[in-house]
Amino acid sequence: MSNTFVDAYPRQSRLIRQAFLTSFVALGVGAFFGLLQALHRTDIWRPIESSTYYTVLTGHGVFLVVSFTIFFLVGVYQWAVTESLEREPVDMRFTWFWYGAMVFGTLLAAIAILAGFTDAIDISADVLFTFYAPLQGHPLFYIGLVIFVVGTWLAGADWFRTWWAWTKDNPDKRIPLPTFMVLTTMIMWYISSIGVAASIILFILPWSIGLIESLNPTLTRTLFWYFGHPVVYFWLLPAYLLWYILLPKLSGGRLFSDPLARVVFILFVLLSTPVGIHHQYLDPGIAEGFKYIAMTNTMFLLLPSLLTAFTVVASMEHGARQRGGTGYLGWLKALPWREPAFTGMALAGLVFAFGGFTGIVNAGMNINYLVHNSLWVPGHIHTQVGTAVALTFMAGSYWLIPQLTGNRLVGRGVALFQVLLWFVGIVFMTNSMYRGGLIGMPRRTAEPEYDGFEYEIAAGSVGELNVQLALGGVLLFVSALLFLSLMLLTLFNNDSEPIDERTIPAPLSGPEDSPAVLDNLKLWVAIAAVLVVLAYVVPLASIASRGGLFGPDVSPFPVSLETIVSVQFITTVAESLLANLGR
Amino acid sequence: MKIHTYEKLWLGAAMVLIVGFIATITYGSVGLGITMIGDDEPAIEPDALDEDERFADPRVEHVGENEYEAYVVARTFLFQPDPIEVPANSEVTFYVTSTDVIHSFSVVGTNTNTMVIPGEISTMTVELDEPGEHGVICNEYCGSGHHNMEGELHVVPEDEFDMTELEVEADDEVAEGDEVALNVSIENGMLDDLETTIEAEIGEETFEEDVTVEGDSTYETTITVDAADLGEGDHDWSVTVDDYEDSDTVTVVDELEDDGDDENDGGDGDE
Repeated sequence: MSNTFVDAYPRQSRLIRQAFLTSFVALGVGAFFGLLQALHRTDIWRPIESSTYYTVLTGHGVFLVVSFTIFFLVGVYQWAVTESLEREPVDMRFTWFWYGAMVFGTLLAAIAILAGFTDAIDISADVLFTFYAPLQGHPLFYIGLVIFVVGTWLAGADWFRTWWAWTKDNPDKRIPLPTFMVLTTMIMWYISSIGVAASIILFILPWSIGLIESLNPTLTRTLFWYFGHPVVYFWLLPAYLLWYILLPKLSGGRLFSDPLARVVFILFVLLSTPVGIHHQYLDPGIAEGFKYIAMTNTMFLLLPSLLTAFTVVASMEHGARQRGGTGYLGWLKALPWREPAFTGMALAGLVFAFGGFTGIVNAGMNINYLVHNSLWVPGHIHTQVGTAVALTFMAGSYWLIPQLTGNRLVGRGVALFQVLLWFVGIVFMTNSMYRGGLIGMPRRTAEPEYDGFEYEIAAGSVGELNVQLALGGVLLFVSALLFLSLMLLTLFNNDSEPIDERTIPAPLSGPEDSPAVLDNLKLWVAIAAVLVVLAYVVPLASIASRGGLFGPDVSPFPVSLETIVSVQFITTVAESLLANLGR
Repeated sequence: MKIHTYEKLWLGAAMVLIVGFIATITYGSVGLGITMIGDDEPAIEPDALDEDERFADPRVEHVGENEYEAYVVARTFLFQPDPIEVPANSEVTFYVTSTDVIHSFSVVGTNTNTMVIPGEISTMTVELDEPGEHGVICNEYCGSGHHNMEGELHVVPEDEFDMTELEVEADDEVAEGDEVALNVSIENGMLDDLETTIEAEIGEETFEEDVTVEGDSTYETTITVDAADLGEGDHDWSVTVDDYEDSDTVTVVDELEDDGDDENDGGDGDE
């Protein structure tokens, strides 16, 4: 008789399965768009017009970094809270409500984006994931994003509620580590997503509907980046949770240090937000001093990731030695390399370490000028979000989905091949991107080769870079398809044996080794708020006073052909779609 | 709090690394003087650039011995002026702004790279030592034609660089009893005086005049010849100043058709 999560919490498993399903649909669409881009940019296959490339690019960004990652996050976090508190939500209807809100928001945004493919509907939102005004998308896009973000806020509230209910029954206990990670992530998310919510609700949405005539592009951009860096950690922290909670167990051992894991998450609460201006090193209208402050804060953000590297590797080594590994490096051989969940996460961690160093280049404010908005940047993003996060999620799914369905994973060998394929694909693709960026090739463009000049490349050629990028893109797409197929097959697999034991072994150094102050969430919220105020109040005030709160008189530049038309109609369509999906 | 000794060492090493990174970057800023885009210039009305004395006519100006200022406007989907021409061994300060959406002004393969935001002016001072031609691109997505947005920066060898503009105005038709007049204007955009020679040719007649055009000013002169000397018919003329040439054709007629009452201004010979 197996002891799986679904046996213990069938109602939770249903919700989490649903969240993962939504996440994987987004992954499929986003990965297909990624394939189109890889082939289009490199001029290997251009089935679409170059102007349509930006519709694809917007979809790729939004579906992958908003839908895929965040739906996966809510699934993992629901699992982590339930499992570690041994408790279900206070009111399951509320839980389904926030999930529904997130789906509804996603659908609205998706309709606005996908309608860009056809001229039959006068809606589009080719504004990319960053939607910098005065580029203007259809209001539906912004409404969808707001509803989605509100859905995530409610999800956080739900987890806090479960935890408060738990504390009443367990007044003197330390917060279990997985729940601690969930709560701290959500604190970071509340602090940071306020920025994008303000940007949309106060400025961009009323402006896109026509209630206000203009806005201050620097202000909305700065508010976006106030959220735009912490959102990266919102994608990353569920992966961290899996590295801390699941990876030591998969390695055959236990987490090295619970206290340091808490410190790491607290550091993310404190430092994730007051760094956003490092995305604006090249922006006019922001004084150099503010950029310098953002740079130093960013460098200190290396600390939690370096600590994580230590703890994760130490936990793996402990596991390997439990499995009979010996020697300085010989223990590496004793790790369960045939286990796709383990190997996927280990490779993801490896890529993350490399990508972290490329991130330091980005963070170095004056070096940044060489690579800003070049192909180097998506190279960095694809090693970090596209691999550290995405590959960890896929690897984690190989362990989690059997827990959530009670079905044995189908095709373990194929799964191992899949994670290796992803690794190889990302190495090719990002190698091309990093090198392309260094010769000045821009990101976010349908045609990176120009009439007026040729790139000066020291080694290799532009043609060779293109081949590597396209090859990497194809391998990644095939890998994503394999993953989705295995998930589908597992979902319908009637075989229930064998499934791994679901218990997570206790850490080597437990919470009792750390001071209780680490669990004082109010204190960390207060310090984080002070740091945000210090880092942002003066720059925001300066930007607002320079260009005006509602900006200089700049005309909107609609990327949507026609605004507002048939909002009513689309809302109706969306609602009926949602109703169908809910069934 | 209990922390493993190895972990303490790692923590210490991590802090050293972080402080080291901050120190090297600070050195780059303060020691090497690699400055960033800041908030030096006040905000500007993006819809009213054509009323702004700097951006109404995007151009390069000579402001000091080896110092130039370039006023650049980025708009969907081009840069003005294009190409931007400056001499080698110069220090150029770029002032870049946008009239519509967010663009970038990025000299490919260099760290001359800035966001261009409507309402703000990006300024950066660049030392251009070597002659060469560089691509300038917009690397911030700005709409469906984003990939077509490019310009050029030409760093011209010093001895080939000038900021001279030649303009000649002349009538297309002249009555035989009148004079053919070539109104020559030479604009010298450099701060130094320009010593040069105006060479002109009308039909068989040639003229030569040595002139000095003072820095940052325009020299005007008129070259005349009696139409009767040329005789009835078409006569080609040309005016040359250094490497610049302007030319056209004047027709000498018996009598102007509209009784010559109003000035027949024809076209100027400007190309």
